[in-house]
Amino acid sequence: MKFRIVGCGNLQRMDDGAGVVVAQRLRELGVPAEIQSGGAFELIAGWDRDQHLLLIDAVMTGAPVGTIHVWEGSPPHLPQSTYLSSHGFGLAEAFRLGQILNCLPERITVYGIEGDRFGLGEQVSPEVLAASERVAQQIAYEFAAESQEEEPVQFAD
Amino acid sequence: MSRAARTIRVDTLARVEGEGAMHISLLGERVADVKLRIYEPPRFFEAFLRGRHFSEVADITARICGICPIAYQMSAIHAVERALGLHIDPAVRMLRRLFYCGEWIESHALHVYMLHAPDFLGYQDAIAMAKDHPEVAQRALRLKKIGNHLVALMGGREIHPISAAVGGFYKVPRLEQLRTLVEDLKWAVDASIETVKFTAGLEFPDFEQDYEFVALRHADEYPFNEGRLVSNRGLDIDAAEYEDHFTELHVKHANALHSVVRGRGSYLVGPMARFNLNYERLTPRAKQVAGDIKLKPPVRNPFRSIIVRAVELVFACEEALRIIEQYDPPAQPRVEAPNRAGVGQAITEAPRGILYHRYAIDEKGLIVTAKIVPPTSQNQKRIEDDLREYAARLVAWPLEEATWKCEQAIRNYDPCISCATHFLKLTIDREDEAGTRK
Repeated sequence: MKFRIVGCGNLQRMDDGAGVVVAQRLRELGVPAEIQSGGAFELIAGWDRDQHLLLIDAVMTGAPVGTIHVWEGSPPHLPQSTYLSSHGFGLAEAFRLGQILNCLPERITVYGIEGDRFGLGEQVSPEVLAASERVAQQIAYEFAAESQEEEPVQFAD
Repeated sequence: MSRAARTIRVDTLARVEGEGAMHISLLGERVADVKLRIYEPPRFFEAFLRGRHFSEVADITARICGICPIAYQMSAIHAVERALGLHIDPAVRMLRRLFYCGEWIESHALHVYMLHAPDFLGYQDAIAMAKDHPEVAQRALRLKKIGNHLVALMGGREIHPISAAVGGFYKVPRLEQLRTLVEDLKWAVDASIETVKFTAGLEFPDFEQDYEFVALRHADEYPFNEGRLVSNRGLDIDAAEYEDHFTELHVKHANALHSVVRGRGSYLVGPMARFNLNYERLTPRAKQVAGDIKLKPPVRNPFRSIIVRAVELVFACEEALRIIEQYDPPAQPRVEAPNRAGVGQAITEAPRGILYHRYAIDEKGLIVTAKIVPPTSQNQKRIEDDLREYAARLVAWPLEEATWKCEQAIRNYDPCISCATHFLKLTIDREDEAGTRK
């Protein structure tokens, strides 16, 4: 199963940039990560069944800023109306469309980072930055573990 | 009923790019007032550009829109190159056309299928439509993906591309890279032809208007980056003369300026204008496909713009294939652009219509003044004029249907208010003669 990491968001919309911050950090750590706006049509364009899709996005659920949420499943059950999308069709809509078109990845993990401010600007809240670093480290660890699993086992003579 | 005052209001327009609202006041069978309210905050890009070096203009203006960043880059770069007096390698010019093809493919596929088609088929959104028409949604997504792929290959990434530069490109693709797109583009030509047939089968209101169509016209190409600005009412000017013939007006209800032709008023830019003024410059196959469904200029029904967009999809896919087949990489990706004082204007054809840029540059290469007139600003007054005429025909309709139809009339223009939020919620208030709301 292919491991695919996508950070969603907009760095010009303050805490909405959380997913992008994580993806950029992962790249620094040598982990391949894509950056997308979070629009449903862009997201779904690269999906296929044989994937472990890992998505990172900013959320607003009412939890303290910087809280890290993890939802898993295919599709994951996201809380209603908590996701932020700058394009009207966001993650929840992408999952619905993926189900209809039968291209939903077999395994999906969504990391949601609780944001606070979503106005115009590039300032990301310190709590969101700290959470982004923790999420990046966790994903880098998962990526390394998954990569090792895929490597053929070497036996000593 | 006929003397009742009613208000059709959409507080947040959906399936358009950006934040806007619609307000229509009906008094009996007369439309008393129409306002397309654009309340998204002003973004001050023209002010940001002042004092920046001209080499930064393409990357800054690409940020104006996530749907049509290439249009912003192309208009900006051409305007700066005109200010500097640069001459561009013909191979680079072809690559810029190819770049634009990618943007038209992804933008038109998105609008035709995901934003506009649900209106005609009676669905609230594209996801509801996909349940009943999964094959249509699959086709839309694959077309869009091919456009995205072409943009990413040319621009270095899919959103806010980074390869375009004053003088050419920072990096150009190798022939073998472009050839990886050929099979997809051949499929896309066929899928676009299917798109034309699909859109031609939709039902259209009987609504024609006497528009002034404005578009670029090139001697022998369907226009992207070059040509004179022409209209069906005798306009025929160079981009440098744009501000002599067009002016922008501030209206209280919108944070975007209204453009008008001086002395005449509103005008229409975009696919219908291009098609009507450049039909002969389409590829033979695009013309044939249009002819098969009896689509000939002049098209004056704005609801039929969805078919015209589909015909332009055929053109963009074929043009991309042609450029790739004839591709001979430029000797150098870009020419040097030394600092020089000057003023340059350029107009290119964004998916939604003409996009005007003007820059004044000082001897250090710094921007002194910048002016940007996007296509939606140019269509804004025309949208209001359409609504004024169209709403008058809907007086007897149930409010919910009338509201939907008016939203659809706005979406005819694929307005790109910005690359931010979009979702539509429309309400209609009725008032009786005593002014009591029902």
